[in-house]
Amino acid sequence: MGKPKFYDFCVHAAPDGDNTAPELASFARHLGYSGIALANHSDKLPDKKPVLPSIEGFEVFQGIELVEENPSKLNSLIGKFRNSMDVLIVHGGSEAVNRAALENPRVDILNHPAFDRSSGLNQVLAKAAAENGVAIGITLRPLLHFRGFRRIRLLSDLKANLELARKYEVSLVLCSDAVSCFDLRSPMETIALAEVCGLEEDEALNAISTVPERILQKNRLGPGYIREGIEVLEGEDLF
Amino acid sequence: MKRLLPSLRAKKRYLAFELISEEPVSRSDIVKEVISSASSLLGDVTTSDCDIKVLGFENGKGIIQCSHTKVKETRASLATVTRINGKRATIHVLGSSGTVKRATEKFLQGESWS
Repeated sequence: MGKPKFYDFCVHAAPDGDNTAPELASFARHLGYSGIALANHSDKLPDKKPVLPSIEGFEVFQGIELVEENPSKLNSLIGKFRNSMDVLIVHGGSEAVNRAALENPRVDILNHPAFDRSSGLNQVLAKAAAENGVAIGITLRPLLHFRGFRRIRLLSDLKANLELARKYEVSLVLCSDAVSCFDLRSPMETIALAEVCGLEEDEALNAISTVPERILQKNRLGPGYIREGIEVLEGEDLF
Repeated sequence: MKRLLPSLRAKKRYLAFELISEEPVSRSDIVKEVISSASSLLGDVTTSDCDIKVLGFENGKGIIQCSHTKVKETRASLATVTRINGKRATIHVLGSSGTVKRATEKFLQGESWS
């Protein structure tokens, strides 16, 4: 087994965040990531399709974080953006949105599902998430910035979700949700923080490397892909 | 007084770090901020076990000492430092080692990132 590759799947570049995409990408590379996904909020998209910065030995993926209160509009947004995006994140925050996101297998990640006094997940939704392969995003930025009461709330929500995720085998994704270079943390620190917050070491490692890789594999289809279940494979030692 | 044998001394880890900040800061500012984030994240009891000390800091790089059993907790609390003196800042741990010498050689000497 080689060195794991680390990915950060929720980074907001300008105009959603403070820093531009190339700045974020080069800083993430310096911190030891193998790739990031630029996932701006869908209500703050730039006018034209941004050009992804290309840096040697580092991958930048096109992502989006959908913000929509209405579940049926959310579903149509998912349909609209799905094919052009490597990573599709839904910004949760109400019962209806969480449910719509977790019941849609075309969604990759549900971020900050917590609302009012609920952690955002329950047994039914966790089961749906596991069936549809939607991962729950653990965002770092609020954990870093808040102190005291608000962080305690965040942590108890996180632990409630973690317990459900373990029970129903829902995958987790650790992401920074960075709006500036100063919100990015290196993979090792992210894992350390996740462990202090209650994840096991292998869970944290999976959440930052293998689960993102699996999402990419699912969305980046090989050159011979025709439709679900049919793929033209080339090469000599296939059989 | 005779020095303690190496095997009897408390074991430490030395974390080499670089500071990325909007404005230059002094060592004492870092100490204050690191201890306060650690006590906020871990509580005073665990922070006291971590035995965090900022050994040296110059040119944006330095070494933090911690107990060898609490490296994870120390790294997590370093991650939660978001501001120093009210200005945005990030502490990036370059690596950890069992001796100051090795940490300096391995992580602090050599090419710097700009």
